[in-house]
Formats: sequence, structure tokens, C-alpha cells
Amino acid sequence: MNRLAKTVASVLPARRQVLTPPRSSRISNQLFQLILLGASLLLLLLILTPMVALLLEVSPARLLLLGRDPATWSALRVTAVSSVLSTTLVLLLGLPVAYALSRHLGRGRQLLETVLELPMVLPPVVAGLGLLLAFGRRGLVGSFLLPFGIQLPFTLAAVVLAQVFVLTPFFVKRAALLFGGIDRQLEVAAMLLGAGPFYTFFRLTLPLCRRGLFAETIMTLAQGVGLFGAVILFAGNLPERTRTLSLAIYGAFEQDPEQAFTLAALMLAGCCALLLAGRMLRRSPGNGGGHG
Amino acid sequence: MGDLQLELNHPLRDFELQTTLVVPRGLTVLIGPNGSGKTTLLKLITGQMTPAAGRIALGDLSLCDTSRNRHLPLQDRRIGMVFQDLALFPHLTVRDNVAFGLRAQGVPSRQRETRTTAMLERLDLTDLAAAPVTTLSGGQRQRVALARALAPLPRLLLLDEPTSALDQAGRWELRRWLAELVAEMEIPSILVTHDVADVAYFRKRIAVMEGGRITQEGSYHQLLHAPATPFVANFAGVNFLVGEVLQEPAGTRFRAAGGLDLWAPFDNIEPGPACLTIAPWEVALYRELPGGSPRNVMPGRLQEVIRTAERVRVTLLGSEKLVVELSREGFGELGHPEVGAPLFAVFKARETRVMNIRGRSGQSPPAAVRKGGLS
Repeated sequence: MNRLAKTVASVLPARRQVLTPPRSSRISNQLFQLILLGASLLLLLLILTPMVALLLEVSPARLLLLGRDPATWSALRVTAVSSVLSTTLVLLLGLPVAYALSRHLGRGRQLLETVLELPMVLPPVVAGLGLLLAFGRRGLVGSFLLPFGIQLPFTLAAVVLAQVFVLTPFFVKRAALLFGGIDRQLEVAAMLLGAGPFYTFFRLTLPLCRRGLFAETIMTLAQGVGLFGAVILFAGNLPERTRTLSLAIYGAFEQDPEQAFTLAALMLAGCCALLLAGRMLRRSPGNGGGHG
Repeated sequence: MGDLQLELNHPLRDFELQTTLVVPRGLTVLIGPNGSGKTTLLKLITGQMTPAAGRIALGDLSLCDTSRNRHLPLQDRRIGMVFQDLALFPHLTVRDNVAFGLRAQGVPSRQRETRTTAMLERLDLTDLAAAPVTTLSGGQRQRVALARALAPLPRLLLLDEPTSALDQAGRWELRRWLAELVAEMEIPSILVTHDVADVAYFRKRIAVMEGGRITQEGSYHQLLHAPATPFVANFAGVNFLVGEVLQEPAGTRFRAAGGLDLWAPFDNIEPGPACLTIAPWEVALYRELPGGSPRNVMPGRLQEVIRTAERVRVTLLGSEKLVVELSREGFGELGHPEVGAPLFAVFKARETRVMNIRGRSGQSPPAAVRKGGLS
């Protein structure tokens, strides 16, 4: 009994303290909230200020002038063709790999995941140099392609290849997450109903995450449009052949900064549109979205 | 169509699954404690898992035979399965869910439509055909799962706790559908369940799985009257006492683990470890020790009283724990005893059953019981 009384006595004062929080802890709570809010506002400003600055720089007259410049149109064409081609290739290559990653466990998976992360951490410039050494005229693979008359560097194909090299790992990672979110039991149910792996994949798995995949495809498209370092090293900056909008902005900046700003503002608008589209798709009910 | 026959060996984390089972046409209920291997068994049958050794056959169709290295792919096994969480395809309508199997198997469209329509009609889903499955109630979703599983005319139906997500009314409705459909389809069917009511409803054929083995097979009646393991006794609500049979000059007795000596019919029983079962409704309760013919008596104190509509279920704790079931009137005649009241439990020797236990209790019951004999 005595010991119990002592224990109670030693606990009680502490209790009382907790019941009425001292000023210091109230202040620390408020300080913490303040830091969260302040950091968020700062980051918003940091991102939005350059955007606003870009948009303020554009005048309707410059836009009109830009529209009349054939170089703009050729850069737009190169950008559109290359990123549509590369996105298609990313899908064709990335979907099976992403599915494999999400469904198969084991040592091979870990190896694949690590290798996939390499292009993601690699500086794009290094990626471009690597591509050049692999597929260049005297490159590891390029020297074998040369006798067949295939030359990759400084062609549109090089732009596409650089985009596929850099973007596929990102796509695979995100698509694997989407596939992983689908209940494996559904696929077992489909197979027990007599569906083979192809039927199950195309009629069940793919439709179930089609919204998410669509959003990821848009992300890939946007990333492809903006790719710079790997492209300029591996494909060069040749007007009408490999000069994408990003490269055109870089080129224009040295001679006519005004034009560079206007082009950049145009790209900003385009990216905002893509981002919005992607967001809207992702926010819709469920990742798969049942009813159209 | 053919029976399901299987003979499987498969090591699991805690024990080895060693199952031999024949499932004839109609519904067989599979019960067993959690972690006894029921889900693994279903996965081995469907092909989601590959057994270490053994074979599975559906009539003349071999699903799996490790000695011949034959493993039929899932999609060729012709098994209809209703999953515990149903696994309906959320992006499809009721009709497309039901038609999925036929479409996947390439059944011509006219035949497919006819069959789907018939199946929807059979399960009273016609009005819901165009509805997305995500909008249905629990019972409706169950029926869609059943229709989807049965539409491609499977040769075996597996049901993994299909009633667990339903309310009581829904469970009875599903049981009725199931009973009718299984009878119509004339295929073997396994229903895995934890619900006593399922066992009572599909009473003809019950298989009990414990520790990866089938420890008892038989009708509900047989399980009630001769439970072979504590699990079955518990499941059936029968008292199960563990002890040993002693052969002494004065006669043969059963001595329970708590030291209580009991009389029983000892036909074909050998001295040694054994178990004794007595149904709760065969035990009478008295305030004072009655005289008369020699009967089994256990003094104890009232531990718990559960009242249902017509019956009273009482737990008496003496040297053993006995569950006693009596009518409300009977309980009233005792003077409505309170918890803690001293009472005598009395039951006749011929109402008890004694079985020898071989090896670890519950692992290997006598052969007579395993065949479902002793009735």
C-alpha cells in the first residue's frame, strides 16, 4: 500500500502539468505551424514568379511575328513528331516491363529496378554522351549499323531514341505502381473463367487502370517535349531535322532573346494545358474509373 | 460429370498439407480452424499454387499430376470459383461480368447471349443486367459472382466463405440459391465456411480439415454424434473430454484429465488415451444428488447462462467444464439458479461416446470415425 501511495504521489504532479499546457509549448506549436505555412508560400512564389515574368514578357505583336516565322513551325513539327513517336515507343516498351515489375517477385526484379533508376539519376548530358558512344558512327552498336546504311546521330530517330532512353524508366516506375494497385485476385478470377494471359491483360488489367495510364502518357509526352541535354548531345541542334522547341529556345536566346521569351511562354501555356488534362484524369473516381 | 479426386502433399510454414479427398457431385462443406490449410487447398486445386507432390483429377480430366509433371494452366481447368471478396470486375456491368468467361473462351456470340440471358434470369438478375456491379447490394453482388462462375459451365465449383460478407437474411437466401444451383448443375462443389449455419443447411456431406489433413468426413449428424476431434466437438457444440480408458478388475472406466471417473459403452475400445463426448442436451442438472441407477455425475458450479428463445444453455465448471442445454421450463424447475450456484450434472453412460486417440490428439482419429462410421 505504502509503495502504491508513493507511486501515485510521484505521478500526480506530472499529470497536473499536462492538464494546463505551459506557454512555451503553445508557442512552439504555433511556431511549427508558421514554418509549414511560410515554407509552402515561399515555394509557391518561387515557382510562380518566373512563370508570371515569362507571361508578362509576351506581346501580341511578338506572337504574331513568331507565327510567321517558318523556323517556329519546323521546330513545332519536330517536337510534335518526335514526342508522339517516343511516347508510342515508351508505351510499347514500358507497359510489358511495368507489368513484369508489378507481378513478378525475385532477384531479377531487383536488378531491373536498379538498372531502371540509372537513367533517372543520370545527368541528361551524360546520357547524351553515352548514347553517342553507343549508337554513334564508331559506337558500340553504331559501327555495326553503319554497313546497313543506318546512321542514328543527328537524325530525328536520335531525338526519339534519346527521349525513349530518358523517359521510359520514369514511365515504367509509375505504371508499375498502377498495375500494383490492381487486385491480383481479379486476374485469377479472369483466368479461372477461361481467359488467357493476353485476354486478361487487355480486357481486364489495362482497362482497369486506363485513366491512370492515360495521365502517365500525358506526363511522358510533356517530359519529351522539354527534354534538352540528351537530345542536343546525341541528335544535335539541326534546324528542320532535330531542332525541337526546347532547342529552338536555346538557339534563339543567343541571337534574339525576345523571341526566346515568346517561345518559352508558348511552351509554358502548352505544359499547363497538359498538366491540367493529366490532373483531371487522375482525380476522376478510382484509378480505373468504372463507367466511362 | 466426374468427381474431384485429390491426393496432395505440400509443405507449409508450420506443417505439411497431406490431403486425400474425394468430392462427389453435390455440395461438400469444408470446415476447419483458421490456418488449417483450407485456402491453400483451394489454391492448389485452382492452380494458383503448385503442389510439392500429388495429383488432382476432375473425372477423367487430370488437372495436376506431379509424377507426370503435368500442370494444367488455370484457364483450362474449368473451375468456377466464388471468392471471399467476390472479385467482380469493377469496370463492367452485371451482364458483362456474367458473360466474361464465355467471351474469354470464344463462345460464338449468339450462344453466348442466350446463355448469359438464361443465367441472369436464373439468378433473378435480369433487371440489373445493365447496372455497373459497383452499384449493387451485397446479396446482388453475391448472385452476380455465382452467375459469373457458373455461366461457362464449369466442372467444379469452389466457394470460399461466400456468406461471410452478408447479413443473416442474405446468407439464407444465398444458401437457397446455392443448394438449387448445385443440384441443377450436377457438378462437385466445395463450400469453405466458418458458419455453423452453413454446415447445418448443407448437412449431407461435411469434411473437416485440421493441420493440413482431413480429420473427419461425414454428415452433420455423424459429426454431432461422434466428433473425432475437439474442433469438431466445439463446432458442433458437443462436450469433448480428453482423458484415458482404464481397465481395472472393477470394470472399465474413462478417467477425464481432471480426475473424474465416468462410465460409457466401451465397445471396441482399448485402454489408453481416449476422448469422451456427450451432447449438451443429454445432460441433466440437479440441485441435489439424485439416487437410483448408476449414472455419471459431475458436481460443479454454474459459470454462465445463455438464454435463447426456447432453450437455456448453461456452463457448469467442476473438475471438467460441461455445457448443458435444457428447456426454459426445465431451468425454471431448478429455481432459476444464479451464477456460482452448486449443481450436479448427470448423464447416462449410454449417451456418451468414447474413442481412442492415437498419437497427438486431433491428428489421427480412429479409422472407423474417419470413414464416417459410428452412427
